[in-house]
Amino acid sequence: MSSVTLKGVRKSYGSLEVIKGVDLEIESKAFVVFVGPSGCGKSTLLRMIAGLEHITAGELEIGGRQMNDVDPSKRGIAMVFQSYALYPHMTVRENMGFALRFAGVAKEQIARQVDEAARILALEPLLDRVPKELSGGQRQRVAIGRAIVRKPEVFLFDEPLSNLDAELRVHMRIEIARLHKELKTTMVYVTHDQVEAMTLADTIVVLRDGVIEQVGKPLELYEDPANLFVAGFIGSPKMNLMAGVVTASGNGTVTVELIHQGKARLALPLTGAAPAVGSAVTIGVRPEHFGPAGAGGAEMSLNIDVAEHLGATSYIYANTRSGEQIIIEHEQSRLQGDQESITVSIDPARAYLFDDKGQRLR
Amino acid sequence: MAQARLARREHLTGWAFIAPALILLGLFMIYPIIWSLWMSFQVGKGMNFSFGGLANIERLTKDPVFLRALGNTFTFFIIQVPIMITLALLFAVALNDSTLRFRGLFRTAIFLPCVTSLIAYSTIFKSMFATDGVVNQALMAVHIIGSPIGWFTDPFWAKVVIIIAITWRWTGYNMIFYLAALQNIDRSIYEAARIDGVPAWARFRYLTIPMLKPVILFTTVISTIGTLQLFDEVYNFTAGNGGPSDSTLTLSLYIYNLTFKFMPSFGYSATVSWVIVVLVAILSFIQFLIARDRRTS
Repeated sequence: MSSVTLKGVRKSYGSLEVIKGVDLEIESKAFVVFVGPSGCGKSTLLRMIAGLEHITAGELEIGGRQMNDVDPSKRGIAMVFQSYALYPHMTVRENMGFALRFAGVAKEQIARQVDEAARILALEPLLDRVPKELSGGQRQRVAIGRAIVRKPEVFLFDEPLSNLDAELRVHMRIEIARLHKELKTTMVYVTHDQVEAMTLADTIVVLRDGVIEQVGKPLELYEDPANLFVAGFIGSPKMNLMAGVVTASGNGTVTVELIHQGKARLALPLTGAAPAVGSAVTIGVRPEHFGPAGAGGAEMSLNIDVAEHLGATSYIYANTRSGEQIIIEHEQSRLQGDQESITVSIDPARAYLFDDKGQRLR
Repeated sequence: MAQARLARREHLTGWAFIAPALILLGLFMIYPIIWSLWMSFQVGKGMNFSFGGLANIERLTKDPVFLRALGNTFTFFIIQVPIMITLALLFAVALNDSTLRFRGLFRTAIFLPCVTSLIAYSTIFKSMFATDGVVNQALMAVHIIGSPIGWFTDPFWAKVVIIIAITWRWTGYNMIFYLAALQNIDRSIYEAARIDGVPAWARFRYLTIPMLKPVILFTTVISTIGTLQLFDEVYNFTAGNGGPSDSTLTLSLYIYNLTFKFMPSFGYSATVSWVIVVLVAILSFIQFLIARDRRTS
């Protein structure tokens, strides 16, 4: 099994730079997920590792070997595509065994490897069907099977579940997680779906505009985002971001006045350098971190716009008097009748502080 | 009741809309086709004909000129169609390469012949392949041949010129079908094959060709029909006589001559046209049979 190392990797199309210097160390056997909004360069980065895109500058190593100019087929990788990329005129068996014919593998050996992959993915009953006779989930399993038979050092997945419906996506997600456990291979996985990222990854790499915003374990990113972008991107529903201004700082605390929340004040603990009094900051609070009225900290009174009752929890979409929308996760699943307003409190220990450039202040 | 009346009115409106086209088609397509079938059982010269049963079919088997024309047509078909289909496929794959520069220019250049005026290009071909034409001069200049080839006087070379001409004219037309089909193939199929180490020749042989099979079948059938009806080039190159000594005479040209050049024998020429219809049907059927997906059978 191989590690993957990227050093100062860049990609340009003419004068347009899409990957702007990426340094990343992917450990052997790790499950790394690249996540970010569309156009952030996550697929391009994966395709550069695969060798489908030329690396403009920087270095790529797989298993300690420099791979910048090595043919895709000699990088010890296998890739699974969003569109499955199955050969439409071949049966499942032929799809999985096709490439091995050109690697000089004996016929019996091919049959053995195909059978083994089919067993792992429960594809045995489908071996003699052609792709158009399969469902989306089955097709994607065949695509994964085609990757498995080559026994690659590194698996690359390019949004493999995006073409599946919601239920199947959850099912396949679990299968991929199980596969990683079983094969113990390095896997690099691209998705725009942060739920997939959170559930599958050992390590998440958050990308934006060709730059890595943060690398970390799923819960680290959730609990300790490095900047506004990661804070807003990870977590569903999104973290509430509220404009504030620093009114006092010193002695390990900084006091912030929430501009649109009826001037509620919040004293936040801070160990690093404090922002100057009067500077603009952003306060982030996750929907589930609001406390009931009277629990201490800053209190806000909000007008309820819409409430969604999901059973175990409810999401309350509320507005401040100046129109800022706040989402609150409410564990008591029922509000009082046609309640129109709600008062919540913000626990300073669970609020995140960001400076005017969007960087986290701790 | 009201509903039935509404349905009736809708039917009438429908028929009214298609009536003009139907009348024209009936008058100028269906009626002549049926008429020609009836004609093919008539014998006699000019307008003076009578029912002859299968006499025309019997005459076919004993007519050396017809057999010659049939042989020529088959020669053109068997040699030209595969050459053209292969060339069109190769051009299409080459011109589908996104890294190729001036792709648009090449595509246009290869497609242009089939929209060029027939008379203009025939005239230029005739001058190029004349005994003292540019083709002979070029071949002699590079010492491939010692003395000029009689392109239009030698029975073998006359056929070669016809094949070159129709290949030049129709390759681009077929290429467009392949290009369109190639652009519909998901690019990641080729990327997956590249990553899996499938060499370029195998990607062409085992991925491109099978995925283009329906289009290849379509172009083959269309080209077969076109070649069996070959008339324009032969007529223009040989001043309408299929020379030298009938060596380029095709079925269509023979029909034309039987009808308009010789003492008109409408019944017999109708029989020859029905030979083309039967041949097209048989050959198309064979091609569909060969191309049939074995798995679904």
